Amino acid sequence: MTALLELHGITKTLKGQKAPRTILDGTDLTVDRGESVAILGRSGSGKSTLLSLIGLFDRPDGGQYLLDGRDITRLPERKAAALRSAEFGFVFQRFFLLKHLTAAQNVAMALVNGQGWLPRRKRRARTLEALDRVGIAHLAKHRPARLSGGEQQRVAIARALVREPRLLLADEPTGALDTETGNLVIEVMRSATERGCGLILVTHDWDHANKMQRVLRLSDGALHPATDTRSVASVSGPARHRAAMGMDRTDAERSEVAR
Amino acid sequence: MIRLSGRFRSALIIGGQGIRARKTRTLLSMVSLFLGVLAVVVVQVGAETTKSARLADLELHAGKDGTRQTYLPGNADTIQIGQDTLKGRTDAVAISFTQAIIGEPGVSPVNPGGAPFDQPGGGQYAYPDGVEIFCDARGYCQPMQVAGDAPDVPVPGQAIELSLNALTGDIRQFRPFRSVSGQWLDFSSDPSLSPRIVVNLEAAKGFMRHQVPAEMRVEGTTANPTPRIIGVIDDGNMHPTAYTRADELQNWVPRSSNAGNYGPGLQVMLAPTAGDLEQLLRIRLTASGMPAEQIHFETIQARKEIAKELALIRWIFLGMAGLVLLIGVAGILNVGLATVGERVEEFALRRAVGTSRSLLAGIVLAETLLTGLLTAAAAIGLSALGLTAISALFGDRDQFLQDLAFPWQAGVAGVIAGLAAGLLGGLIPAIRAARIPIATVMRA
Repeated sequence: MTALLELHGITKTLKGQKAPRTILDGTDLTVDRGESVAILGRSGSGKSTLLSLIGLFDRPDGGQYLLDGRDITRLPERKAAALRSAEFGFVFQRFFLLKHLTAAQNVAMALVNGQGWLPRRKRRARTLEALDRVGIAHLAKHRPARLSGGEQQRVAIARALVREPRLLLADEPTGALDTETGNLVIEVMRSATERGCGLILVTHDWDHANKMQRVLRLSDGALHPATDTRSVASVSGPARHRAAMGMDRTDAERSEVAR
Repeated sequence: MIRLSGRFRSALIIGGQGIRARKTRTLLSMVSLFLGVLAVVVVQVGAETTKSARLADLELHAGKDGTRQTYLPGNADTIQIGQDTLKGRTDAVAISFTQAIIGEPGVSPVNPGGAPFDQPGGGQYAYPDGVEIFCDARGYCQPMQVAGDAPDVPVPGQAIELSLNALTGDIRQFRPFRSVSGQWLDFSSDPSLSPRIVVNLEAAKGFMRHQVPAEMRVEGTTANPTPRIIGVIDDGNMHPTAYTRADELQNWVPRSSNAGNYGPGLQVMLAPTAGDLEQLLRIRLTASGMPAEQIHFETIQARKEIAKELALIRWIFLGMAGLVLLIGVAGILNVGLATVGERVEEFALRRAVGTSRSLLAGIVLAETLLTGLLTAAAAIGLSALGLTAISALFGDRDQFLQDLAFPWQAGVAGVIAGLAAGLLGGLIPAIRAARIPIATVMRA
């Protein structure tokens, strides 16, 4: 069966004010339908760049990107927009809710984007259903200013899910939330995979990554299976964190993991 | 119902949300644009109102746009053929012209030659030295060189001279006379031996000032009939004029008398659809011996003439209004650029959820176009109210002011000006919005 998403040898170099910097250097990734994948990596390792390539925000310099076996590496902007609307749902660290719109209107934003047209009644029904899925249908008429951080992020998740995407892309969605609320948000996103939606979660938090079916680490422009979670879990304190981030361990730490 | 595309509806919905979210900015944009749109609307109102007034005036004198018209020589045969051909037709009228004196028998009229009554010189035309108006025993007057003994001149008495226009049908379909009082000629009844006449305002003025016995002297009549004045109209003519049915006048004027040799002979006016009648008249006239090249029909083009007259003035004022509008465009542009700068994240997010670059530009344009439309509505509303107020306050001073109505062309011009300003002012912000990189949301 064809995988939902396949990246083969993806490369991306960013042209900054200084010398060009290769962020992704032959990255490979395969995600199946309904699979959840966590991507860890230290800041600047290219996690967000990878996510923006997967989400068709940007184009890779090289390599091949297949969605459902279809090559979408060099998709024109209009078709990319249509695909973003139909196939992907995005959740960001900052919730990006428009303050002048209610929670329901923020969710409906993904339905009023020029990609097909739903009558108002259907829009409303789907919006309320999406809010219900994340457990905040009763807050539909509230504006973001009246919602807590967790509620705002759930509105953002509802916005990502309202078009029933096949792949949910989350870029550090719990970064601005406390642990308890973050866990709740992760659970809400994980429940989406039960309906067959793939999930790619970019995070710094090992606990959240550990809830995904696969954990990968991005370093040196390529994805690698992350360190065995149990091994890392047995390491405490800074060592555990660095292990999760794929940072080099001290000799003492290495020996601790080995034990 | 027109089904709008999803993209267009999306742009309108999001544009509307944007306007509601930034009411103060929208209001500021409207304020900066308002004077420009108002100027365009006012110029257009002025131009259209002037055009309407001039057109109404011209139609009274010359006839309605598109009317086919010709003048035929005033000989008896031509007049007879013209009147016979057009008799009973509702889409054509023949007018023969003569002079008539209504009043006391055997006196010369108070306005020899049918002069206006308030003209300097007491209602008499001024003639060169040595030339005076002399009237014969029946009262017909004409300028004559004074040499030696002047002919016997009847004493001036209670009589009024006027132009008498004999009609074969209702002329008002071509020249929309304004009814002042009484009624218009009835062409469906049998002709009366007492000719019914409708006089114009100038003639009515004479009859108000001079209580004259009712006898009408017309050259060539076998006897003087007693006319019945049945109505007063405004025909825009400053000379005293009366209109009567041609068949009622013919009861008294034998056709062989060549009555109508005053003025241009026989005037024929045809509706634009009466091409068959024009052809028939040509055939009959040429058959009677009239050279075909002497029969020349022309189409009245009153609107074209007026448009030419007013075009230059209109463009000068529109140019000035356009300059004011440009200032408004700069205002919208300024506010639009500031707004786009503030909404970078929103636009990037919209792109992330599937909105295309072109729709993003469409959303910004929708906002500025809606702002332009709202401004146009406000300017049009204010102009219409102003016009109503002017009409109510000063309508009694002039008929022209009483009939003031907001011309639809001014409304269209206002809407176009508002949309054009919205388009011009929104174009650059729209392009900027479309260029916002989608990855902005990732880096935020």
